[in-house]
Amino acid sequence: MYIIGENIHIISDKVKTALVDRDASFFQDLAVAQVEAGAQALDLNLGPRKKDGEDVFPWMVQTVEAVVDVPLSLDSTNIRGIEAGLKAVTKAQPMINSTSAEEVRLEEVPLLAKRYGAKLVALTMGKSGIPVSADERVNIAIEKLIPRMIEIDFPVTDLIIDPLVLTVSGCQEYCPELIEAVRTIQVAWDPPPAISVGLSNVSNAVPFENRSLINRVYCVMLMGAGLQMMIANPFDEDLKEVVRIVEERDGSTPLGRLFVAISDRVAAMEQPAKEDVDFNDPDQVKVWKTVQILLNKVIYADSYLQTRSSQGGE
Amino acid sequence: MQIEIPKDNWQGSVNTVTLGATPEEGGTRTRTVTIGGQQTLPFLHFEQTPPNRPVIALEITAARPGDWSPVLLDAWGDAIDDPGNWAGACESAGADLIVLSLGLTEADGRSADPESAVRATKSTLGGTGLPLIVLGPGQAELDNDFVIAVADATKGERLVLGLCEDSNYRTIVAAAMANDHLVVGRTPMDVNLAKQLNILITDMGLPLDRIVMDPTTGALGYGIEYGYSVMERLRIAALQGDAMTQLPLLVNPGAEAWKTKEAKVGEGVPDSWGKWEERASNWETVTAVALIEAGADIVVLRHPDSVTRVRNALDELMAVG
Repeated sequence: MYIIGENIHIISDKVKTALVDRDASFFQDLAVAQVEAGAQALDLNLGPRKKDGEDVFPWMVQTVEAVVDVPLSLDSTNIRGIEAGLKAVTKAQPMINSTSAEEVRLEEVPLLAKRYGAKLVALTMGKSGIPVSADERVNIAIEKLIPRMIEIDFPVTDLIIDPLVLTVSGCQEYCPELIEAVRTIQVAWDPPPAISVGLSNVSNAVPFENRSLINRVYCVMLMGAGLQMMIANPFDEDLKEVVRIVEERDGSTPLGRLFVAISDRVAAMEQPAKEDVDFNDPDQVKVWKTVQILLNKVIYADSYLQTRSSQGGE
Repeated sequence: MQIEIPKDNWQGSVNTVTLGATPEEGGTRTRTVTIGGQQTLPFLHFEQTPPNRPVIALEITAARPGDWSPVLLDAWGDAIDDPGNWAGACESAGADLIVLSLGLTEADGRSADPESAVRATKSTLGGTGLPLIVLGPGQAELDNDFVIAVADATKGERLVLGLCEDSNYRTIVAAAMANDHLVVGRTPMDVNLAKQLNILITDMGLPLDRIVMDPTTGALGYGIEYGYSVMERLRIAALQGDAMTQLPLLVNPGAEAWKTKEAKVGEGVPDSWGKWEERASNWETVTAVALIEAGADIVVLRHPDSVTRVRNALDELMAVG
């Protein structure tokens, strides 16, 4: 699994403050720590930066490149800011995050990627938003995104499709469809584009104590569908452990066996099954309940783990 | 040619809930109302004969309502000035249930208090033998004060007390548990929040056969499709076996329909809209019938004519063949 570290993100208050103060050592520490924790690239999400993008992006690139060698993902809607950042890159092949299938974006952003030899993350989202169904998202990829790359002679192998993870808390019906979109995009073109998702989005608006479990279980399911790249939190040791378990097919623990079984079921286009689960093991029950909400089989509620399976009412 | 109608075989069913208690059961009601028990989507008689009919409630207020349409005030006349008389008129109009909404002020303009809430409740109970739902004025602190007093003063009646919301449910649930009542929980048109509130309420130990849920809905032309979808999704989950969605559904087509321009405005609208009174009641009726089709177990109405119309529609929906 190729992890693009997500932690330099403007939504974090610490990042916000450090950016205002131009606190280079804060970002350098965070960059080094993410790479040491296993991030193979770093996302730099600094927001639109309408006023100072052309200063902030080069500054950030120089600051981070002073301490790490990994590819940097310039994550913004500000094209001029991204271009200024790309000019400052001296090390690995950078990425632009992102274009969508909206006309204006799709016109300009791929040209920028081509000019600077950057990889390009492209969202399966058009003018009318994010479609629910997997098929419609795949169609955006093969009818809009990929044709545009071919049109401008941008290598499809440098294209990274992001079929867009949405939260189980409020957009539950999107969760199983995303899994199928990941599966299908891999065979939708030859050579296939890469696929990446923003994993943590699946647990947006979920109470903090449940986020990691939901992220983990979804990651296992997506790996079953063939996911090999994601923007995620490299400090989430539990997440990295399930990635290792699935990659190494480590069934040495009961929970590990369940994760491998879930991933295999998804790979075989089957539903994870009750017989895979030891319902006497509370941890396995939690994983099972999480699978059920992520497949949209059981309606999500913040306390979904606390529900009794009986009819309630003593 | 023989055509075989495909049948769903659902694992789950809607909880059966009984409102009100007769003297033998520890209350004073002349009859009780039982809802729920369905094992199919609404009115699929070929899958299951519906075990209980959806029921029609009429809403009354503790003091003459300041913001109700003159069409409603005319329809109820002087009865409106006394909850007991009003409740009796509702029973005569054909209601199955009464919903008493406690307000912030009394008829004479003084602030309502727990004593006045109890008075209005007792007056209502005295005016009708139907089961009763009692709702606080909609401010957490007052809701709790009023509902505690009402619950204590009517122990054993199996009233439905509300409103439980995610930010304020503990006191009301505790008052219901201590006095053999039921509760209704309301969430703002969202399946996740509806289920969450049900989990929170049952976690306190109130049995599922003493809870109904109000998923909130809009009126015809004003978001009814969103409410409809939420109800449909909750009901399908219930039939699939999700215990925390198996509660009977209560909705308020009356309150919603009487907010719409079509029901509220008598002048300055196109002639083609037709006679005001007729149109307003139709709006309420059509809203209510659509929600019954979505799975509502209790519809709360405001106009007596709408009761007759909804009941006629229900008779047809309940008729087999």
